[in-house]
Amino acid sequence: MAIDKITEALTRRVAKTTSRRSMLTLIGGAITGAAAFPVLPVSRAYAAANPAHGGGGVAPQPTGNPQDPGDQASCDYWRYCAIDGYLCSCCGGTASTCPPGTEMSPITWIGTCLNPADNRSYIISYNDCCGKSSCGRCLCNRNEGDRPVVRPQENNDINWCLGTSSAIYNCSTAVILGVALEK
Amino acid sequence: MRGVLASAILAGIAGAGFAAQGVSREAAVSNPALARQNWILKCQGCHRPDATGTPETTPAMAGIVAKFLHVPGGREYLARVPGVATAPVSDAELADLLNWTLYRFDAGHVPADFKPYSAAEIGKLRKAPLRTEAPAMRAALMTKINALAEGDDT
Repeated sequence: MAIDKITEALTRRVAKTTSRRSMLTLIGGAITGAAAFPVLPVSRAYAAANPAHGGGGVAPQPTGNPQDPGDQASCDYWRYCAIDGYLCSCCGGTASTCPPGTEMSPITWIGTCLNPADNRSYIISYNDCCGKSSCGRCLCNRNEGDRPVVRPQENNDINWCLGTSSAIYNCSTAVILGVALEK
Repeated sequence: MRGVLASAILAGIAGAGFAAQGVSREAAVSNPALARQNWILKCQGCHRPDATGTPETTPAMAGIVAKFLHVPGGREYLARVPGVATAPVSDAELADLLNWTLYRFDAGHVPADFKPYSAAEIGKLRKAPLRTEAPAMRAALMTKINALAEGDDT
């Protein structure tokens, strides 16, 4: 009898103080919260340890130069800040040279990347290497400064194998052209 | 649109008349380092570092570009070609970039009475960018330029 009364009182209190929609709010909050997990540092730390792109089973290629820090076979190497393609470092070339048997495109798209070693921006030319089928290793798609295709000279989604004997894309380099002016 | 163009053309002619003794490269480009950087970032990728271009897609500018200043409509054409008019830089930087390009890649053909592009002139001209008609207009201007060259030879 007492249990009945307690249950009734509890049920009535819940019914009086909460709306039916509050349950939806709770569920909605849980769904939104779950979606936010990937942006938490925990998730990013996991992604850094287990890269989804870059790396690609290729051994690290540190430059050994403290002024040029990072791993040239990894997508997060500083010079790759606006690259979209396969890293030539993983394809038999380097960050600034083409793999044997391919031809470097003289037509290119050019941007700037911040060097973490000296905190200065450098002008980087993303020359594609052409003439062999796609390398397929170390796909890296970072798009800092990338503009829509209506500005083709500043878009990295188009095939930049222009001015070469073959328009077949193999991989992308990131050649330093110089230091950018201080803004 | 035509009115704007006509007045721009008139302003250009009048300006050329005033600048009797020509302008030095130093006076025409206020910030050569920035102009060069803008060339690298906004132009060089397609026009190539030496401005020789690619015949099928990007006409050569080296040794040619300043010839347009010798024929009517050429001055306006240079500021209205798509790559110039839509370049994502301010009017002042674009004027500097265009003046720098003329001296850097075709100093020999810059007219003695050349009046450098000003930010105001560029601002006006770039509002009427050329689209698909650019190649036809270039061909027509090249015909005039070639006729001029033949006239010089005789």
